[in-house]
Amino acid sequence: MRQNESLVANVDWALFAVYMLMLIFGVATVYSTAYNEDHPNLFDFSQKYGKQMIWLFVSLFLGLMVFLIDSDIYRKFCVPIYLFTLVLLVIVLFMPPVNGARAWLGIGTMGIQPAEFAKIGTGLLLARFISDVNVKQQTSQTVLLANAIILVPMTLILLQPDAGTFVVFTSFLFVMYREGITYDPLILKLVNAIPGVKFKQTWVGSHFIPILFVVVFLSLVTLLMSNEKISFGFLPGVIFSGFWSVMISLTIFAIFLSLVSRLIASKRERNRASLIILIAYILATLLAAIVNYGFQGLAEHQKDRIELFLGLKEDPDGEDYNRNRAMAAVGSGGMLGKGYNNASVASVESNHVPESETDFIFCPFAEEWGFVGVLLLVGLYMFMLLRIIMIAERQRSTFNRVYAYVVAMILFYHFAINIGMNIGFAPVIGIPLPFFSYGGSSMMSFSMMMFILLKLDSQRRDILN
Amino acid sequence: MNFDSRKYVLITLFILVGIIYTLRIFYMQVIDDSWHLRAQEIAEKRKEITPPRGVLFDRNGKKIVANRTYYNLMMVEDDMKNFDTVAFAELLGWQAWQVKKRFRDVREGEGTYYNKHTGKRTSNYQKIRAYPFIKEMTLEEIARIAPHLENFPGFYEEVTSMRSYPFANGANIVGYLSEVNREEVEEDHFYKPGNNIGRAGLERFYESELRGRKGIKYIVTSALNNAIESYAGGKYDTSALQGPPLKLGVDIILQAYGEKLLQGKRGCIVAIEPSTGEILSLVSAPSYDPNLLIGKRNISSNYPKLVLDQSKPLYPRPLAAEYPPGSTFKLLNSLIGLQEGVITPESGFPCNKSMVGCHDHTSAGNLADAIKHSCNPYFYAVTRRILQQGKKKNIYADAEVGLGLWAKYMHSFGLGSKLETDITGLRSGLIPDPAYYDKWYGHHRWAFSTIRSISIGQGEVMLTPLHLANIAALIANRGWYITPHFVKSIGKSGPDSLYRKKHFTMVDRKHYGIVIEGMRRVVHVSGGTGKRAKLKDIIVCGKTGTVQNPHGEDHSVFIAFAPMYQPKIAIAVFIENAKGGGGLWAAPTAGLMIEKYLTRKITEKEREKTILEAKFTYRE
Repeated sequence: MRQNESLVANVDWALFAVYMLMLIFGVATVYSTAYNEDHPNLFDFSQKYGKQMIWLFVSLFLGLMVFLIDSDIYRKFCVPIYLFTLVLLVIVLFMPPVNGARAWLGIGTMGIQPAEFAKIGTGLLLARFISDVNVKQQTSQTVLLANAIILVPMTLILLQPDAGTFVVFTSFLFVMYREGITYDPLILKLVNAIPGVKFKQTWVGSHFIPILFVVVFLSLVTLLMSNEKISFGFLPGVIFSGFWSVMISLTIFAIFLSLVSRLIASKRERNRASLIILIAYILATLLAAIVNYGFQGLAEHQKDRIELFLGLKEDPDGEDYNRNRAMAAVGSGGMLGKGYNNASVASVESNHVPESETDFIFCPFAEEWGFVGVLLLVGLYMFMLLRIIMIAERQRSTFNRVYAYVVAMILFYHFAINIGMNIGFAPVIGIPLPFFSYGGSSMMSFSMMMFILLKLDSQRRDILN
Repeated sequence: MNFDSRKYVLITLFILVGIIYTLRIFYMQVIDDSWHLRAQEIAEKRKEITPPRGVLFDRNGKKIVANRTYYNLMMVEDDMKNFDTVAFAELLGWQAWQVKKRFRDVREGEGTYYNKHTGKRTSNYQKIRAYPFIKEMTLEEIARIAPHLENFPGFYEEVTSMRSYPFANGANIVGYLSEVNREEVEEDHFYKPGNNIGRAGLERFYESELRGRKGIKYIVTSALNNAIESYAGGKYDTSALQGPPLKLGVDIILQAYGEKLLQGKRGCIVAIEPSTGEILSLVSAPSYDPNLLIGKRNISSNYPKLVLDQSKPLYPRPLAAEYPPGSTFKLLNSLIGLQEGVITPESGFPCNKSMVGCHDHTSAGNLADAIKHSCNPYFYAVTRRILQQGKKKNIYADAEVGLGLWAKYMHSFGLGSKLETDITGLRSGLIPDPAYYDKWYGHHRWAFSTIRSISIGQGEVMLTPLHLANIAALIANRGWYITPHFVKSIGKSGPDSLYRKKHFTMVDRKHYGIVIEGMRRVVHVSGGTGKRAKLKDIIVCGKTGTVQNPHGEDHSVFIAFAPMYQPKIAIAVFIENAKGGGGLWAAPTAGLMIEKYLTRKITEKEREKTILEAKFTYRE
């Protein structure tokens, strides 16, 4: 009895409220998008919104189950759970393909996607692994094992193939970075192989993951911009080549960073910060130049292939059909939107935006609610993400903290990529918008992820280490 | 080592992405409207309903320009199934190759346009869109085909409205319609390819009134181009509104009669109601039946013929043809002379044929008789007195001052510039001023003797028949005129304030009496040059003119108004290459027109017969 009381008292109700709010918005959007005049009932199970309601209740039921089980089992049984999701990922490869990918387990539309649940399994195991590691005494084995935990499910997912979820798995790298998993042992082995060099520690090694991401991101941006002409809105009539736009943006960013660092850093740190920014700036421009001129050397059809691969080739009615339609839907929303159930571009019935109830659910939402709705949605997500980080930081146990970061990073990835592909900022790789998109697997997996977090958090005081 | 500060890397990343996305979406949704347009292009179909054009009535309420329903046979390529070319050709009464050719034309022609940005002709033909396969079919034509169209999915009929002209007259007044071209579509968003626009006459001048207001229905369409629902519950839809009817001052009966009188001849008749400036008729001969230019099919077969016709039936002569006015001009020189005080009604000048020829008559002892005889030497003398008033010692400088004054008078009669008549195609004519002659002869190199032919309306002076009729009207009004115009009212409003304003001439009212008396003598006193315009119960005041034509026979001119007191009609008749002077052909024509208008009867049957039978030959 007492335990139950404390359970209720210790639940983070703010996070739970945002979660519930998002579910309600999500179902409302699915209802509006897939609305069928002949079946107006929300609980008409022949319709997508009816099915979504089933998934919603199943998810809440699963959540209740999670709450009734002692949170210790996630820590204890994380290896079997991880292995179970791996087995599912293997089995799914022998299923008949749906839309070109062997991602579905089950019959017809009522199947589940093991890849969604693999995120939880991987997240739990990674949390367990990191909580067992003494971060002060890392070896090459540590970082290799940590990477192996991620890479095995990633490989299986790539075999389906499911590029979206594959990319989402890289979010674990950021969690590893936060927890101090370092690539230094590997980097040192390489560097110290050079005769006469004897480093104990490298900056690149300890910050390997963000550096890797910056390099990849900057290379991609430079690649995409290399044959575009960009005009800056604030300078009428002035048009820069894409490469120079990247250079200018880098310069502005560097100046901005050094100003910020002057404001927040102590006197002693200022010079060091300025030096780091200067070196980073030089390296970044160098990288951009190499990518730009390397890319220009490529033949025209190779360029096209890269752009098509990234899903960023401008061709309104061809390769880039989805994104162009999606952007038209979002952009036509205006300040206040077209009103609930009034999406003209993104409704399922009009079918201009394919998958508008699943991967492109942001389109009908933005079209119907306008910028005001978007502000609310982005605000909810920001609140949720920052709240989870807050929860993470208040955990006594490393396991709980790592798991909380896993949840935050996965949600952030989905948010950034899903909305990014609706507004032309990310390639079109099909991943759902958590709690909004139609689909049982994503709703169940995200709900379970959320309830496990809430449960772990509610029992944070019971754990001593 | 403590890694807690690394949480800020993640927090910064989250917040940065949140802010950048918000700004980006704000830009897309609120600032940049190109996505909005793209969305409209994708999902909203703007269905336009073109209303029938406003109709035109004559002064007696007779409908002279009406609308009639026609049908377009539309095709949607995507909806065609198992299309049987041979059977379809049979249904239309065509050959199979014609059907195939028409398909090719639609595919290549209907959807293509000149893209300004790329400089290329671009095709936006879409298989899902409807295009007219055959345009403008009559009810009889479509009725034969329509019942069988169900065998040819992808084809359907669409109602469209086109002009019809119950009277085959007044083509040069009303003008005609034809399809807009690409520039017009780009210039004015009212028009869509395939819409009609007024090309000439009143149809063109009153285009913005006649076209009415288009109805617009916004429909949400699916990716397959099916209409789903009306956009925003029809909130932005507007209903079509037909253009208001135009009531004209034209008397279609008189117009038709005028056209009949001028058959087989080239020339013009312009009749104006002096008190209002309303144009009663504006005959341009030869003319054409406006029904020949209804719709694309008619235009493509008849327009080239009309354009190539040597007698220029499309040319609105009363508005655009510039002729010397001949002796009718003497009336104006008389008025100026009286106003300037250089002559009096009793002034007499001998008929001295040393400077200019004249016909045989006794020398005129007063102005009225001089007008009656149209004495050339008399008006030389009058005009010399106007131009050479002796205000300057140097005769060249004196002539310069005199001509400057004379030109001012002429401008006050509405000459030398375009009248503000509500129609397109007007020409300004020419009233020479000192600058004009300086250009030809040099400064101070000319005097009255150099330019004397302007005294009798020859030489450089050029007027349009509309100007001529306006002269008759302003004399009838004794010193003022209202700009001649066609439209009395648009819907319930009108006439325009422009057509209520009296323009006063520089000649005082008191001087008109004697000139009008002279005009009465022209018609009603024996020896008058215009006696063939005489009517039994109506006093006609007129003036003949014979315009020397270096290319052939003289032109026959007559201007007149009637009755003498409270005039109801002012008229100008101009017949080209008529053998014989103004008195022989133009005067009787004017007389018949006046009688027709005032009494609706023709008493002088013999005179009418002569005019109707007259044919003049023209050198091309």
